[in-house]
Amino acid sequence: MAARIAQLSLSAVAVIIGVLLVGQLRSQARPIELSTLSAQELSTLVETLSARNVELGDGLADLREQIRDYERAELQGQSALELSEEDLQRIAAFGGLAAVEGQGILMQIEGSFDPIAVNDLIHELRNAGAEAIAVDNVRITARSVAAFGTGAIEIDGVPISRAFEIRAIGSPDGLHAAIERPGGILTLLQQSIDAVFVVEERTNLLVPGTQRDLAPQVARPVE
Amino acid sequence: MTRRRPARSRFSRPQWAISIAAALAAIGFVGAAQWNSSLARQEFVTSAQRVLITQAEQQQLEQERLRDEIEEAETRVRSFQQRDEGSATALERLNQELAAARLSTGLAPVHGPGLVLEIADSQREVPVGESATNYIVLVDDLRDIVTALWASGAEAISVSGGLTEGPPAERLVASTSIYGAGSAILVNDVPLSPPYRIEAIGSDGLRDRFLANQGFLTRVERRIDVYSLQFASEARDDLTLPGFIGNTRLRWGAPLPEAE
Repeated sequence: MAARIAQLSLSAVAVIIGVLLVGQLRSQARPIELSTLSAQELSTLVETLSARNVELGDGLADLREQIRDYERAELQGQSALELSEEDLQRIAAFGGLAAVEGQGILMQIEGSFDPIAVNDLIHELRNAGAEAIAVDNVRITARSVAAFGTGAIEIDGVPISRAFEIRAIGSPDGLHAAIERPGGILTLLQQSIDAVFVVEERTNLLVPGTQRDLAPQVARPVE
Repeated sequence: MTRRRPARSRFSRPQWAISIAAALAAIGFVGAAQWNSSLARQEFVTSAQRVLITQAEQQQLEQERLRDEIEEAETRVRSFQQRDEGSATALERLNQELAAARLSTGLAPVHGPGLVLEIADSQREVPVGESATNYIVLVDDLRDIVTALWASGAEAISVSGGLTEGPPAERLVASTSIYGAGSAILVNDVPLSPPYRIEAIGSDGLRDRFLANQGFLTRVERRIDVYSLQFASEARDDLTLPGFIGNTRLRWGAPLPEAE
Protein backbone atom coordinates (compact mmCIF):
# COMPACT_ATOMS: atom_id res chain seq x y z
CA MET A 1 0.00 0.00 0.00
CA ALA A 2 2.79 2.33 1.00
CA ALA A 3 4.61 1.53 -2.23
CA ARG A 4 1.48 2.44 -4.27
CA ILE A 5 1.17 5.76 -2.40
CA ALA A 6 4.84 6.40 -3.03
CA GLN A 7 4.41 5.71 -6.76
CA LEU A 8 1.37 7.96 -7.02
CA SER A 9 3.08 10.73 -5.08
CA LEU A 10 6.19 10.52 -7.23
CA SER A 11 4.06 10.59 -10.41
CA ALA A 12 2.19 13.66 -9.19
CA VAL A 13 5.44 15.36 -8.27
CA ALA A 14 6.95 14.50 -11.67
CA VAL A 15 3.94 16.04 -13.43
CA ILE A 16 4.25 19.25 -11.40
CA ILE A 17 8.00 19.44 -12.10
CA GLY A 18 7.30 18.92 -15.80
CA VAL A 19 4.75 21.72 -15.90
CA LEU A 20 7.05 24.09 -14.05
CA LEU A 21 10.05 23.22 -16.24
CA VAL A 22 8.06 23.87 -19.42
CA GLY A 23 6.93 27.20 -17.98
CA GLN A 24 10.50 28.10 -17.08
CA LEU A 25 11.81 27.05 -20.51
CA ARG A 26 9.18 29.18 -22.23
CA SER A 27 10.01 32.16 -20.07
CA GLN A 28 13.66 31.81 -21.18
CA ALA A 29 12.39 32.11 -24.75
CA ARG A 30 11.40 35.73 -24.01
CA PRO A 31 8.27 36.13 -26.05
CA ILE A 32 7.82 39.69 -27.18
CA GLU A 33 6.72 41.26 -23.95
CA LEU A 34 4.51 44.04 -25.13
CA SER A 35 3.92 45.05 -21.53
CA THR A 36 7.60 45.94 -21.13
CA LEU A 37 7.57 48.35 -24.06
CA SER A 38 7.06 52.04 -23.36
CA ALA A 39 3.99 53.83 -24.69
CA GLN A 40 6.19 55.45 -27.35
CA GLU A 41 7.68 52.11 -28.43
CA LEU A 42 4.23 50.53 -28.51
CA SER A 43 2.94 53.42 -30.54
CA THR A 44 5.79 52.96 -33.06
CA LEU A 45 5.11 49.23 -33.18
CA VAL A 46 1.37 49.73 -33.79
CA GLU A 47 2.14 52.33 -36.47
CA THR A 48 4.66 50.00 -38.18
CA LEU A 49 2.31 47.03 -38.09
CA SER A 50 -0.61 49.11 -39.26
CA ALA A 51 1.35 50.57 -42.21
CA ARG A 52 2.55 47.06 -43.10
CA ASN A 53 -1.04 45.77 -43.02
CA VAL A 54 -2.18 48.54 -45.35
CA GLU A 55 0.57 47.52 -47.80
CA LEU A 56 -0.32 43.84 -47.44
CA GLY A 57 -3.99 44.68 -48.00
CA ASP A 58 -3.12 46.66 -51.16
CA GLY A 59 -0.95 43.80 -52.39
CA LEU A 60 -3.75 41.31 -51.74
CA ALA A 61 -6.24 43.50 -53.61
CA ASP A 62 -3.86 43.61 -56.61
CA LEU A 63 -3.44 39.85 -56.49
CA ARG A 64 -7.21 39.36 -56.45
CA GLU A 65 -7.53 41.68 -59.42
CA GLN A 66 -4.85 39.64 -61.19
CA ILE A 67 -6.78 36.43 -60.44
CA ARG A 68 -9.98 38.00 -61.83
CA ASP A 69 -8.09 38.95 -65.02
CA TYR A 70 -6.84 35.37 -65.39
CA GLU A 71 -10.37 34.04 -64.79
CA ARG A 72 -11.81 36.40 -67.43
CA ALA A 73 -9.14 35.39 -69.96
CA GLU A 74 -9.78 31.71 -69.22
CA LEU A 75 -13.57 32.10 -69.60
CA GLN A 76 -13.10 33.84 -72.94
CA GLY A 77 -10.64 31.17 -74.06
CA GLN A 78 -7.90 33.79 -74.45
CA SER A 79 -4.26 33.59 -73.58
CA ALA A 80 -3.13 35.46 -70.50
CA LEU A 81 0.52 35.57 -71.47
CA GLU A 82 0.43 39.35 -71.29
CA LEU A 83 -0.66 39.17 -67.66
CA SER A 84 2.15 36.76 -66.90
CA GLU A 85 4.63 39.09 -68.64
CA GLU A 86 3.47 41.87 -66.32
CA ASP A 87 3.93 39.58 -63.36
CA LEU A 88 7.46 38.82 -64.49
CA GLN A 89 8.26 42.55 -64.74
CA ARG A 90 6.82 43.13 -61.28
CA ILE A 91 8.91 40.34 -59.72
CA ALA A 92 12.05 41.53 -61.54
CA ALA A 93 11.52 45.11 -60.32
CA PHE A 94 10.82 43.98 -56.76
CA GLY A 95 13.91 41.79 -56.53
CA GLY A 96 16.33 44.18 -58.24
CA LEU A 97 16.62 42.36 -61.56
CA ALA A 98 14.98 45.21 -63.50
CA ALA A 99 15.19 49.00 -63.42
CA VAL A 100 12.55 50.99 -61.53
CA GLU A 101 11.45 54.59 -61.91
CA GLY A 102 9.42 56.57 -59.44
CA GLN A 103 9.38 58.98 -56.51
CA GLY A 104 11.81 59.01 -53.66
CA ILE A 105 14.90 60.70 -52.30
CA LEU A 106 18.33 61.45 -53.65
CA MET A 107 21.18 61.54 -51.14
CA GLN A 108 24.47 63.14 -52.09
CA ILE A 109 27.14 62.07 -49.67
CA GLU A 110 30.81 62.83 -49.24
CA GLY A 111 32.97 61.57 -46.42
CA SER A 112 35.28 58.97 -44.98
CA PHE A 113 32.85 56.07 -44.74
CA ASP A 114 33.58 52.53 -43.67
CA PRO A 115 31.54 49.57 -45.02
CA ILE A 116 29.53 49.21 -41.78
CA ALA A 117 28.33 52.82 -42.06
CA VAL A 118 27.26 52.29 -45.69
CA ASN A 119 25.44 49.09 -44.75
CA ASP A 120 23.74 50.83 -41.79
CA LEU A 121 22.53 53.55 -44.16
CA ILE A 122 21.10 50.96 -46.56
CA HIS A 123 19.39 49.11 -43.67
CA GLU A 124 17.86 52.36 -42.49
CA LEU A 125 16.45 53.12 -45.94
CA ARG A 126 14.91 49.64 -46.08
CA ASN A 127 13.42 50.17 -42.61
CA ALA A 128 11.94 53.46 -43.82
CA GLY A 129 10.13 51.58 -46.59
CA ALA A 130 12.41 52.05 -49.60
CA GLU A 131 11.20 49.87 -52.47
CA ALA A 132 14.34 50.10 -54.60
CA ILE A 133 17.79 51.45 -53.73
CA ALA A 134 20.92 52.18 -55.75
CA VAL A 135 24.31 53.33 -54.51
CA ASP A 136 25.75 55.22 -57.48
CA ASN A 137 24.75 52.84 -60.26
CA VAL A 138 24.75 49.67 -58.21
CA ARG A 139 21.27 48.30 -57.49
CA ILE A 140 20.98 47.01 -53.96
CA THR A 141 19.57 43.47 -53.89
CA ALA A 142 19.03 41.22 -50.89
CA ARG A 143 22.61 39.96 -51.29
CA SER A 144 24.35 43.32 -51.79
CA VAL A 145 26.80 44.25 -49.04
CA ALA A 146 29.33 47.07 -48.82
CA ALA A 147 32.75 45.59 -48.03
CA PHE A 148 36.40 46.59 -48.24
CA GLY A 149 37.72 45.74 -51.67
CA THR A 150 41.12 46.47 -53.09
CA GLY A 151 41.70 50.01 -51.93
CA ALA A 152 38.08 51.13 -51.72
CA ILE A 153 34.67 50.17 -50.43
CA GLU A 154 32.94 47.93 -52.96
CA ILE A 155 29.34 46.87 -53.44
CA ASP A 156 28.83 43.82 -55.63
CA GLY A 157 32.43 44.24 -56.78
CA VAL A 158 31.97 47.87 -57.87
CA PRO A 159 34.14 50.47 -56.07
CA ILE A 160 32.37 53.35 -54.34
CA SER A 161 34.27 56.61 -54.21
CA ARG A 162 34.50 59.09 -51.32
CA ALA A 163 31.66 61.09 -52.87
CA PHE A 164 28.67 58.99 -53.83
CA GLU A 165 24.92 59.12 -54.41
CA ILE A 166 22.13 57.02 -53.02
CA ARG A 167 18.78 56.92 -54.83
CA ALA A 168 15.90 55.37 -52.95
CA ILE A 169 12.41 54.90 -54.35
CA GLY A 170 9.63 55.15 -51.79
CA SER A 171 7.51 57.76 -50.06
CA PRO A 172 9.61 60.95 -50.45
CA ASP A 173 8.25 62.42 -47.19
CA GLY A 174 8.52 59.18 -45.28
CA LEU A 175 12.08 58.42 -46.41
CA HIS A 176 13.26 61.98 -45.84
CA ALA A 177 11.74 62.18 -42.38
CA ALA A 178 13.11 58.78 -41.34
CA ILE A 179 16.64 59.59 -42.49
CA GLU A 180 16.79 63.06 -40.94
CA ARG A 181 14.82 62.41 -37.75
CA PRO A 182 16.49 63.58 -34.54
CA GLY A 183 18.64 60.74 -33.23
CA GLY A 184 18.31 58.96 -36.56
CA ILE A 185 20.93 57.50 -38.85
CA LEU A 186 22.29 60.83 -40.16
CA THR A 187 22.71 62.19 -36.64
CA LEU A 188 24.53 59.00 -35.60
CA LEU A 189 26.77 58.99 -38.67
CA GLN A 190 27.60 62.68 -38.33
CA GLN A 191 28.78 62.00 -34.78
CA SER A 192 31.19 59.26 -35.85
CA ILE A 193 32.16 60.16 -39.42
CA ASP A 194 33.41 63.30 -41.07
CA ALA A 195 30.78 63.47 -43.79
CA VAL A 196 28.42 65.84 -45.60
CA PHE A 197 24.91 64.76 -46.54
CA VAL A 198 22.48 66.53 -48.87
CA VAL A 199 19.03 64.92 -49.03
CA GLU A 200 16.46 65.95 -51.64
CA GLU A 201 13.00 64.67 -52.40
CA ARG A 202 12.52 63.79 -56.07
CA THR A 203 9.46 62.97 -58.13
CA ASN A 204 11.32 61.19 -60.87
CA LEU A 205 14.17 58.92 -59.95
CA LEU A 206 15.66 56.05 -61.88
CA VAL A 207 17.16 53.05 -60.13
CA PRO A 208 18.89 50.58 -62.47
CA GLY A 209 18.58 46.81 -62.39
CA THR A 210 21.45 44.83 -60.93
CA GLN A 211 24.38 43.79 -63.12
CA ARG A 212 25.00 40.86 -60.79
CA ASP A 213 23.83 37.36 -61.66
CA LEU A 214 21.47 36.49 -58.81
CA ALA A 215 20.80 32.92 -59.94
CA PRO A 216 21.80 30.70 -57.01
CA GLN A 217 24.61 28.20 -57.57
CA VAL A 218 23.84 25.70 -54.81
CA ALA A 219 20.32 26.57 -53.64
CA ARG A 220 17.73 24.52 -55.51
CA PRO A 221 13.99 25.18 -55.78
CA VAL A 222 11.80 23.02 -53.60
CA GLU A 223 9.69 20.89 -55.94
CA MET B 1 -1.31 -21.97 3.67
CA THR B 2 -0.49 -18.56 4.71
CA ARG B 3 1.15 -16.24 2.35
CA ARG B 4 4.20 -14.77 3.84
CA ARG B 5 4.62 -11.09 3.27
CA PRO B 6 8.10 -10.13 2.26
CA ALA B 7 10.01 -8.55 5.04
CA ARG B 8 9.81 -4.84 4.69
CA SER B 9 13.16 -3.21 4.50
CA ARG B 10 13.67 -0.86 7.31
CA PHE B 11 14.93 1.65 4.80
CA SER B 12 11.92 1.42 2.46
CA ARG B 13 9.90 4.28 3.94
CA PRO B 14 12.83 6.65 4.26
CA GLN B 15 13.87 5.90 0.63
CA TRP B 16 10.62 7.05 -0.96
CA ALA B 17 10.28 9.77 1.56
CA ILE B 18 13.73 11.02 0.51
CA SER B 19 12.71 10.84 -3.17
CA ILE B 20 9.60 12.89 -2.46
CA ALA B 21 11.60 15.35 -0.42
CA ALA B 22 14.13 15.71 -3.25
CA ALA B 23 11.36 16.17 -5.80
CA LEU B 24 9.65 18.76 -3.61
CA ALA B 25 12.95 20.57 -3.31
CA ALA B 26 13.23 20.56 -7.12
CA ILE B 27 9.68 21.94 -7.39
CA GLY B 28 10.57 24.62 -4.89
CA PHE B 29 13.67 25.57 -6.86
CA VAL B 30 11.98 25.64 -10.27
CA GLY B 31 8.90 27.36 -8.82
CA ALA B 32 11.05 30.03 -7.22
CA ALA B 33 12.93 30.59 -10.49
CA GLN B 34 9.64 30.85 -12.35
CA TRP B 35 8.21 33.24 -9.77
CA ASN B 36 11.34 35.40 -9.81
CA SER B 37 11.42 35.63 -13.58
CA SER B 38 7.73 36.55 -13.60
CA LEU B 39 8.32 39.24 -11.03
CA ALA B 40 11.29 40.60 -12.92
CA ARG B 41 9.21 41.01 -16.04
CA GLN B 42 6.18 42.44 -14.30
CA GLU B 43 6.01 46.09 -15.26
CA PHE B 44 3.72 48.90 -14.45
CA VAL B 45 1.27 49.08 -17.34
CA THR B 46 -0.77 52.20 -17.79
CA SER B 47 -4.23 52.16 -19.31
CA ALA B 48 -2.85 53.93 -22.41
CA GLN B 49 -0.27 51.14 -22.77
CA ARG B 50 -2.99 48.53 -22.35
CA VAL B 51 -4.92 50.07 -25.23
CA LEU B 52 -1.76 50.09 -27.39
CA ILE B 53 -0.95 46.48 -26.44
CA THR B 54 -4.43 45.41 -27.56
CA GLN B 55 -3.97 47.33 -30.83
CA ALA B 56 -0.55 45.75 -31.42
CA GLU B 57 -1.98 42.27 -30.83
CA GLN B 58 -4.87 42.95 -33.20
CA GLN B 59 -2.47 44.21 -35.88
CA GLN B 60 -0.35 41.08 -35.52
CA LEU B 61 -3.42 38.87 -35.97
CA GLU B 62 -4.48 40.92 -38.99
CA GLN B 63 -0.98 40.57 -40.45
CA GLU B 64 -1.11 36.78 -40.10
CA ARG B 65 -4.50 36.68 -41.82
CA LEU B 66 -3.34 38.88 -44.71
CA ARG B 67 -0.16 36.85 -45.22
CA ASP B 68 -2.15 33.61 -45.32
CA GLU B 69 -4.50 35.08 -47.92
CA ILE B 70 -1.59 36.43 -50.00
CA GLU B 71 0.07 33.01 -49.96
CA GLU B 72 -3.16 31.41 -51.14
CA ALA B 73 -3.67 34.03 -53.88
CA GLU B 74 -0.06 33.65 -55.11
CA THR B 75 -0.62 29.91 -55.42
CA ARG B 76 -3.75 30.56 -57.52
CA VAL B 77 -1.87 32.99 -59.78
CA ARG B 78 0.89 30.42 -60.33
CA SER B 79 -1.67 27.75 -61.21
CA PHE B 80 -3.27 30.07 -63.81
CA GLN B 81 0.15 30.83 -65.28
CA GLN B 82 1.00 27.16 -65.66
CA ARG B 83 -2.22 26.18 -67.45
CA ASP B 84 -2.53 29.19 -69.73
CA GLU B 85 -4.09 28.57 -73.15
CA GLY B 86 -1.50 30.50 -75.14
CA SER B 87 1.27 29.22 -77.36
CA ALA B 88 2.95 26.25 -75.68
CA THR B 89 6.45 27.49 -76.54
CA ALA B 90 5.82 31.03 -75.35
CA LEU B 91 4.14 29.70 -72.22
CA GLU B 92 7.01 27.37 -71.43
CA ARG B 93 9.57 30.13 -71.93
CA LEU B 94 7.62 32.57 -69.79
CA ASN B 95 7.06 30.07 -67.00
CA GLN B 96 10.76 29.27 -66.98
CA GLU B 97 11.55 32.97 -66.71
CA LEU B 98 9.00 33.41 -63.93
CA ALA B 99 10.41 30.44 -62.00
CA ALA B 100 13.97 31.75 -62.43
CA ALA B 101 12.95 35.27 -61.31
CA ARG B 102 11.16 33.90 -58.23
CA LEU B 103 14.20 31.78 -57.40
CA SER B 104 16.68 34.67 -57.79
CA THR B 105 14.63 37.14 -55.78
CA GLY B 106 13.72 34.99 -52.76
CA LEU B 107 10.07 34.37 -53.62
CA ALA B 108 10.51 30.62 -54.10
CA PRO B 109 11.32 28.12 -51.33
CA VAL B 110 14.79 26.63 -51.73
CA HIS B 111 16.94 23.89 -50.27
CA GLY B 112 20.64 23.18 -50.18
CA PRO B 113 23.70 22.96 -47.95
CA GLY B 114 24.41 25.70 -45.48
CA LEU B 115 24.56 26.87 -41.94
CA VAL B 116 22.26 27.28 -38.93
CA LEU B 117 23.00 29.95 -36.33
CA GLU B 118 21.23 30.67 -33.09
CA ILE B 119 21.62 33.72 -30.92
CA ALA B 120 19.73 34.25 -27.66
CA ASP B 121 19.65 36.53 -24.65
CA SER B 122 22.24 36.14 -21.93
CA GLN B 123 21.36 33.86 -19.04
CA ARG B 124 23.51 35.91 -16.68
CA GLU B 125 21.87 37.92 -13.95
CA VAL B 126 22.01 41.62 -14.79
CA PRO B 127 24.38 43.30 -12.30
CA VAL B 128 22.89 46.10 -10.26
CA GLY B 129 23.27 49.43 -12.01
CA GLU B 130 23.73 47.91 -15.48
CA SER B 131 21.21 48.18 -18.28
CA ALA B 132 19.25 44.96 -18.89
CA THR B 133 19.26 45.91 -22.59
CA ASN B 134 22.93 44.93 -22.79
CA TYR B 135 22.00 41.34 -21.99
CA ILE B 136 19.43 40.80 -24.71
CA VAL B 137 19.84 40.32 -28.46
CA LEU B 138 19.58 43.68 -30.21
CA VAL B 139 18.66 44.56 -33.76
CA ASP B 140 22.28 45.42 -34.65
CA ASP B 141 23.37 41.91 -33.62
CA LEU B 142 20.97 40.34 -36.12
CA ARG B 143 21.84 42.85 -38.86
CA ASP B 144 25.59 42.26 -38.43
CA ILE B 145 25.15 38.48 -38.58
CA VAL B 146 23.01 38.75 -41.71
CA THR B 147 25.46 41.16 -43.37
CA ALA B 148 28.37 38.84 -42.57
CA LEU B 149 26.46 35.90 -44.04
CA TRP B 150 25.75 37.72 -47.32
CA ALA B 151 29.37 38.87 -47.44
CA SER B 152 30.46 35.24 -46.94
CA GLY B 153 28.56 34.09 -50.02
CA ALA B 154 25.16 33.05 -48.66
CA GLU B 155 22.63 32.66 -51.47
CA ALA B 156 19.49 32.58 -49.33
CA ILE B 157 18.81 33.50 -45.70
CA SER B 158 15.83 33.18 -43.39
CA VAL B 159 15.31 34.35 -39.81
CA SER B 160 12.88 32.91 -37.30
CA GLY B 161 12.25 33.47 -33.63
CA GLY B 162 11.09 31.54 -30.57
CA LEU B 163 11.60 27.94 -29.56
CA THR B 164 8.89 26.00 -31.34
CA GLU B 165 5.88 28.25 -31.68
CA GLY B 166 5.66 31.67 -33.23
CA PRO B 167 5.49 32.93 -36.77
CA PRO B 168 7.19 31.00 -39.60
CA ALA B 169 10.69 31.88 -40.76
CA GLU B 170 11.05 35.15 -42.68
CA ARG B 171 12.96 34.91 -45.96
CA LEU B 172 15.21 37.90 -46.57
CA VAL B 173 14.61 39.78 -49.84
CA ALA B 174 15.76 43.09 -51.39
CA SER B 175 13.25 45.14 -49.40
CA THR B 176 13.67 43.31 -46.08
CA SER B 177 13.79 45.51 -43.01
CA ILE B 178 15.32 44.37 -39.73
CA TYR B 179 13.98 46.84 -37.26
CA GLY B 180 13.94 47.29 -33.50
CA ALA B 181 11.04 48.61 -31.43
CA GLY B 182 12.21 48.57 -27.82
CA SER B 183 13.30 45.03 -27.06
CA ALA B 184 11.22 43.64 -29.94
CA ILE B 185 12.86 42.85 -33.29
CA LEU B 186 10.79 42.95 -36.46
CA VAL B 187 11.98 41.18 -39.61
CA ASN B 188 9.92 42.03 -42.71
CA ASP B 189 7.76 43.88 -40.14
CA VAL B 190 6.95 40.60 -38.38
CA PRO B 191 7.70 40.72 -34.64
CA LEU B 192 10.04 37.87 -33.65
CA SER B 193 11.21 36.76 -30.23
CA PRO B 194 14.47 35.12 -29.13
CA PRO B 195 16.16 32.73 -29.50
CA TYR B 196 16.70 33.90 -33.09
CA ARG B 197 17.53 31.21 -35.62
CA ILE B 198 19.23 32.24 -38.83
CA GLU B 199 19.48 29.71 -41.61
CA ALA B 200 21.61 30.33 -44.68
CA ILE B 201 22.23 28.33 -47.82
CA GLY B 202 25.62 28.63 -49.49
CA SER B 203 28.46 26.66 -50.99
CA ASP B 204 30.82 24.43 -48.99
CA GLY B 205 32.71 26.23 -46.26
CA LEU B 206 30.04 28.87 -45.63
CA ARG B 207 30.36 28.45 -41.84
CA ASP B 208 34.15 28.85 -41.93
CA ARG B 209 33.95 31.89 -44.20
CA PHE B 210 31.28 33.42 -41.95
CA LEU B 211 33.26 32.91 -38.74
CA ALA B 212 36.38 34.32 -40.40
CA ASN B 213 34.50 37.42 -41.56
CA GLN B 214 35.64 39.58 -38.67
CA GLY B 215 34.98 42.87 -40.41
CA PHE B 216 31.22 42.55 -39.86
CA LEU B 217 31.21 40.54 -36.62
CA THR B 218 33.28 42.79 -34.35
CA ARG B 219 30.27 44.43 -32.65
CA VAL B 220 28.28 41.25 -32.05
CA GLU B 221 31.33 39.20 -31.01
CA ARG B 222 32.17 41.76 -28.38
CA ARG B 223 28.62 41.61 -27.00
CA ILE B 224 28.70 37.80 -26.97
CA ASP B 225 31.97 37.91 -24.99
CA VAL B 226 31.13 40.72 -22.60
CA TYR B 227 27.45 39.98 -21.88
CA SER B 228 27.42 36.22 -22.51
CA LEU B 229 24.77 36.29 -25.22
CA GLN B 230 24.20 32.69 -26.25
CA PHE B 231 25.51 31.85 -29.70
CA ALA B 232 25.91 28.61 -31.62
CA SER B 233 26.49 27.67 -35.24
CA GLU B 234 26.40 24.41 -37.16
CA ALA B 235 27.01 23.48 -40.79
CA ARG B 236 24.20 21.43 -42.38
CA ASP B 237 24.11 19.25 -45.49
CA ASP B 238 20.58 20.22 -46.46
CA LEU B 239 18.36 23.05 -45.27
CA THR B 240 14.99 24.12 -46.58
CA LEU B 241 14.10 27.83 -46.54
CA PRO B 242 10.61 29.19 -47.24
CA GLY B 243 9.87 31.73 -49.96
CA PHE B 244 9.04 35.31 -49.01
CA ILE B 245 5.37 35.89 -48.26
CA GLY B 246 4.24 39.48 -48.48
CA ASN B 247 3.61 42.38 -50.73
CA THR B 248 5.77 42.45 -53.85
CA ARG B 249 3.90 45.34 -55.54
CA LEU B 250 5.78 48.61 -55.82
CA ARG B 251 3.73 51.53 -54.54
CA TRP B 252 6.05 54.42 -55.30
CA GLY B 253 7.73 53.17 -58.44
CA ALA B 254 7.10 51.11 -61.52
CA PRO B 255 9.21 48.71 -63.56
CA LEU B 256 10.98 50.54 -66.35
CA PRO B 257 10.26 48.76 -69.63
CA GLU B 258 13.42 47.27 -71.11
CA ALA B 259 14.84 49.24 -74.04
CA GLU B 260 14.23 47.36 -77.28
